[in-house]
Amino acid sequence: METNAMPAQGALDAQLAHRFRSCAQSFSRPRQVNMDLLLRFGDAPLLVRIRDGRVTAADAPTAPLPSCDVSLRASAKAWSRFWQAVPDAGWHDIFALSKRGELAIEGNLQPLMAHLQFIKDLLATGREAQA
Amino acid sequence: MSAALEPIVGRYVSVEIAGQPCRVYFEEAGEGIPLVCLHTAGADSRQYRHMMCDTDITSRYRVIAFDMPWHGKSYPPPGWQDEEYRLSTERYVETVMAFCDALALDRPALIGCSIGGRIVLQLAHQHADRFRALIGVEAADFQEPWYDTSWLHRGDVHGGEVCAALVSGLVAPQSPEVYRHETLWQYMQGGPGVFRGDLYFYRVDGDLRGRLDGIRTDRCPLFLLTGEYDFSCTPEDTLRTAASIPGAQVTIMRELGHFPMSENPQQFRGYVLPVLDAIARL
Repeated sequence: METNAMPAQGALDAQLAHRFRSCAQSFSRPRQVNMDLLLRFGDAPLLVRIRDGRVTAADAPTAPLPSCDVSLRASAKAWSRFWQAVPDAGWHDIFALSKRGELAIEGNLQPLMAHLQFIKDLLATGREAQA
Repeated sequence: MSAALEPIVGRYVSVEIAGQPCRVYFEEAGEGIPLVCLHTAGADSRQYRHMMCDTDITSRYRVIAFDMPWHGKSYPPPGWQDEEYRLSTERYVETVMAFCDALALDRPALIGCSIGGRIVLQLAHQHADRFRALIGVEAADFQEPWYDTSWLHRGDVHGGEVCAALVSGLVAPQSPEVYRHETLWQYMQGGPGVFRGDLYFYRVDGDLRGRLDGIRTDRCPLFLLTGEYDFSCTPEDTLRTAASIPGAQVTIMRELGHFPMSENPQQFRGYVLPVLDAIARL
């Protein structure tokens, strides 16, 4: 049972990372944002490079211990609920997730806070379209 | 003339608060029972603009919303440049009472949201005889902090932007885009350090747990309305608070967040109108 569950979970993590990568690659705002953002979808990491307000790359890190400015880490379940077209109360914002212990925000928070709405809008690109 | 004039009229009144003269801006519309409206931390009276244009309310209520000193069009008192703004429970109560006295309001009803909801509880405890009824929106005696308020006022982060971005998650996802961004614009326009100074009351000075004994809801009815998407003042926070106040009437509002009257006025009126109906019957 457990041996079957692990690959399935890993596949789900990778699927969410892929979904976000597809959505985020065209994301840009007219704003001077430059940072490396490390996102973890369960066990699937994605290093998002942002230059001059534009996502220039979003790839799985090629080596262990990737360097970044700030990282956000949550389970596949938390990201999935966050990305529902109309998320449930308590699952609708990164700080709602953080407050309930479902999202970890780590690293240097200055670039995150300086460009908070940019990051929030970027992360919301994974959200399902409303019917 | 075909100008689409709204019924809202704005004026200034001079009041003394903590021994200092304050020029306070307020807006009002309607006739009838005075209904004083308290805005959220770091915002201003514009949050009540929809209620002031709702004839189901203004036909029975004189809706009056004022900008706290340091907020909106109310300047800080003279000498503000030499001090750090920190709102205290005492100062907040004095501000509300001084405004009501200045306008000679006779037992008004009062509605307050967020920090305004918190002070509603203190008013119920301290000054119930001065009010016809009290409505606390997103109100609780205490709530767990969810970020470090030092981010709200520092040199390397734009204060208005970070205030708005932080509270943006407190707006329910169902709220119309236009009102969501109007609500956030108020936060972007706040003075430097003002939101943080308001939260001094919220986080440090205004912990009312265990300090709300003796509230007489039979003399002054207390209504508490909290949005289900408010993860700052959660429905659980309000329900816990209400459980300690005999007679407090609680409603958890669907598809609303921390700024109901501003973020989704149509949804909010479905909850506030029955409360105002009840108060009008008193």
